[in-house]
Amino acid sequence: MTVDRSIAPAFQIPERIDFPLPIHRTLKNGVRLYFIPTPEISAIRLEINSDAPATLGMEEKKLASYFTLHMLMEGIKGKTSAELDDFFDTYASEVEVINTFEHHGLSLLTTKKHFQTVLPIFFKLLTEALFPEKELAKRKSQKILSLNILKEKTGNRASQLFRQELFGKSHPYGQITEEKDVEEIQRLDLIEFYHKQLWINPEIFLTGNLSTEEIKLIEGLFGELPVVQIEKKLPNFGNGNHLRLVEDREKALQSSIRVGCHLIPKNHPEYFGLWVFNVFLGGYFGSRLIKNIREDKGHTYGIYSSIGSLQATDYWVVMADVIKEHREAVIDEIYKEIHKLQMEEIPLDELETVRNYLIGNLLSNFSSAFELISRFKSIHQSGLDFGFYKKQLEFIKTFQAEQIQEIGKKYLSKEKMVEIIVG
Amino acid sequence: MINYQRFVLENGLEVLVHEDHSTKMAVLNILYKVGSRNEIPGKTGLAHYFEHLMFGSSKNVPVFDTALERVGGSCNAFTNTDITNYYITLPAVNIETAFWLESDRMLQLNLSEKTIETQRKVVIEEFKQRYLNQPYGDVFHHIRKLAFDTHPYQWPTIGRDIEDIVNYSREDVEEFYLTHYRPDNAIMVVAGDVSLDQVRFMADKWFGEIPSGKIPKRSIPVELPQTGKKTLVVDAEVPTDALYKVYHMPGKLQEGYLQADLITDILGFGRSSTLEQKLVKNGHIFASVSAYIFGTVDPGLMVFSGKMEKGQSAELAEKALDLVVQEFLESSIPEDTLTKVKNQAEAMKTYESVQLLNRAMSLAYYAHLGSPDLYQTEYEKKTQIPAESILDWGKEILKEENASTVYYKAVAK
Repeated sequence: MTVDRSIAPAFQIPERIDFPLPIHRTLKNGVRLYFIPTPEISAIRLEINSDAPATLGMEEKKLASYFTLHMLMEGIKGKTSAELDDFFDTYASEVEVINTFEHHGLSLLTTKKHFQTVLPIFFKLLTEALFPEKELAKRKSQKILSLNILKEKTGNRASQLFRQELFGKSHPYGQITEEKDVEEIQRLDLIEFYHKQLWINPEIFLTGNLSTEEIKLIEGLFGELPVVQIEKKLPNFGNGNHLRLVEDREKALQSSIRVGCHLIPKNHPEYFGLWVFNVFLGGYFGSRLIKNIREDKGHTYGIYSSIGSLQATDYWVVMADVIKEHREAVIDEIYKEIHKLQMEEIPLDELETVRNYLIGNLLSNFSSAFELISRFKSIHQSGLDFGFYKKQLEFIKTFQAEQIQEIGKKYLSKEKMVEIIVG
Repeated sequence: MINYQRFVLENGLEVLVHEDHSTKMAVLNILYKVGSRNEIPGKTGLAHYFEHLMFGSSKNVPVFDTALERVGGSCNAFTNTDITNYYITLPAVNIETAFWLESDRMLQLNLSEKTIETQRKVVIEEFKQRYLNQPYGDVFHHIRKLAFDTHPYQWPTIGRDIEDIVNYSREDVEEFYLTHYRPDNAIMVVAGDVSLDQVRFMADKWFGEIPSGKIPKRSIPVELPQTGKKTLVVDAEVPTDALYKVYHMPGKLQEGYLQADLITDILGFGRSSTLEQKLVKNGHIFASVSAYIFGTVDPGLMVFSGKMEKGQSAELAEKALDLVVQEFLESSIPEDTLTKVKNQAEAMKTYESVQLLNRAMSLAYYAHLGSPDLYQTEYEKKTQIPAESILDWGKEILKEENASTVYYKAVAK
């Protein structure tokens, strides 16, 4: 059988995508629980997430949340650190810390087989932690070492400086952690944080193969968690004037570049337009930045632009590690590509490629049952629901080139950009 | 267990089908049985560099990624010491596009001057970004070179040095393609919302006419048993000393491999592991520690590594490590510990199988070792090994004359 390879096989673009709604419960302490059942998968993942003080306009001692969360596994009433380690490893369960700008909490990954054994002890981490001095001292010295290692990495340093300039030195999102911040952390800071600031507006995100009794067990336990409900007071950021910061490192072999600015909130009518504009520019492997800087010039191993998600207003950033002597040229090319995408007609085949790629990508994101809850979480935490993805799909199918170009012009301009070079 | 069906085309291409109709997606995974172990000195890194070239163009496909993105798909690949693995994820209705793309680049890849030269630059930047411009980034270059005298595992997949990457010629690249990128050197797994009949039809249609390989593969030099301990001191501007101590161990499927795997599970896996508890949580020399094995086809390495607390030396750390390892070898393994590592092995299979792509890759990987059934049988074998056997192999492997140690020393700027 000989086949004519010059003709690409016919293809279809999926018309619809199912966005299954999570089951929603409110526990007796007001904590909301969201659950997506996956009866065919015998793993279970439970995550409890609360608001970081910074999203509520509250003060937090630097690193208090970091150390509080990491110390939860270092001893509770009735179980030492070593006993806890042994317990969770014996039941092959992973406890992980969630510690982002806006949220913190703990997650538990376990199997259906061990779930009922593991859950009560996991819950005790949230209420009965002891914060022993010896383990804290070790954690502090480990943190100092990791800070020192990170400082050596140009990419990490560039990201720190970018956040500092974008969010400001005085805001928690912009602060750079230093060795002295670690040294200043005391056991009492953690105990205070644990009792006053750790469980503010918590929510539970749950997925896996769970029976009604198992859900009841969760509801019963977590319904007893002492929580604080506080109204959010989200920070308000705006773009300043164009700013460039360069930290030369003679011995570095590459320069790490960050270029970006604040954008608009996810519920803004022009959000999807801006999101698609970013995809064309640097948001997928076929993007213009990859084509130009990597596939044509070979100046870098990778260059991407992405949208950082925050509850109030998202932000935009281009990241790349590039050949030192071409760093200026790369930054110039970033602006040239932005300008070209804003001003010049977008070829029809590129429009089709991006449209179809995005539909396939969305379908793919919603195809793995176990991950649906994370998709839900990310949008729910911005005050939205799965309607967001429905609208997004509709937008992908129907957007016009001129429309996204106009939006791109409005929000991405050099005067607003923070530029960082390290290396 | 991962369900699968298997058939082989006349040209030698082995095809596995894993049906999962709970998703609307499909995965097409192609594993080529080539990695850095098939390279020779002076041309190291060629397998990985070649992976980059596969994303250029083929006779009927001007740009691989674009043709796939247009039908809603995405792709990637990785190269290691033993294999090069390519994978495509796309809506299952468009699975034929994946057959078209993969077969075209297996049959008739365009090795254009532009692609060869640009990807050379890109890979050099990758080398710098991942191995040279990172603290401790070059450590495995040192370890491999120290531990192996003859086997190609003596260099990492990225290549021994940038000079080798600069020196690949067009002939090297073409010969590499014709030797290794042939149907009888590949395993294709098609998984997701597809059927056996559909895959059989498309495999035959798109891959059936691709000729088998004619160039024999070079034989791979065998590493002779090590007879004395080897050491190396590396001075670098890093925040603290680091210690890397490795031991030669059996290859995958060889006697003793699973015992070695269990040794590092007990000593180094998880927060409750022996090394973490004794050296990190209750010791003052190590800030972090880990133990694991290279899961390589040919005899590989068992690795112990750690970063020191400020002011503590790598030499002192080695002594502390040796004591704990010695103590492990001289005592018995408690039943609880065995239960723990077996529970972990069982759970790991559950976690890994959540993703369709992982299932497809596992099938391809074990098929390359000999049979997809090994995925299950190796797990069963591992969980039945008695404690004495683990310790016997421990005494065999964890000997000073079988060790190589790199002392990665922090020096002031």
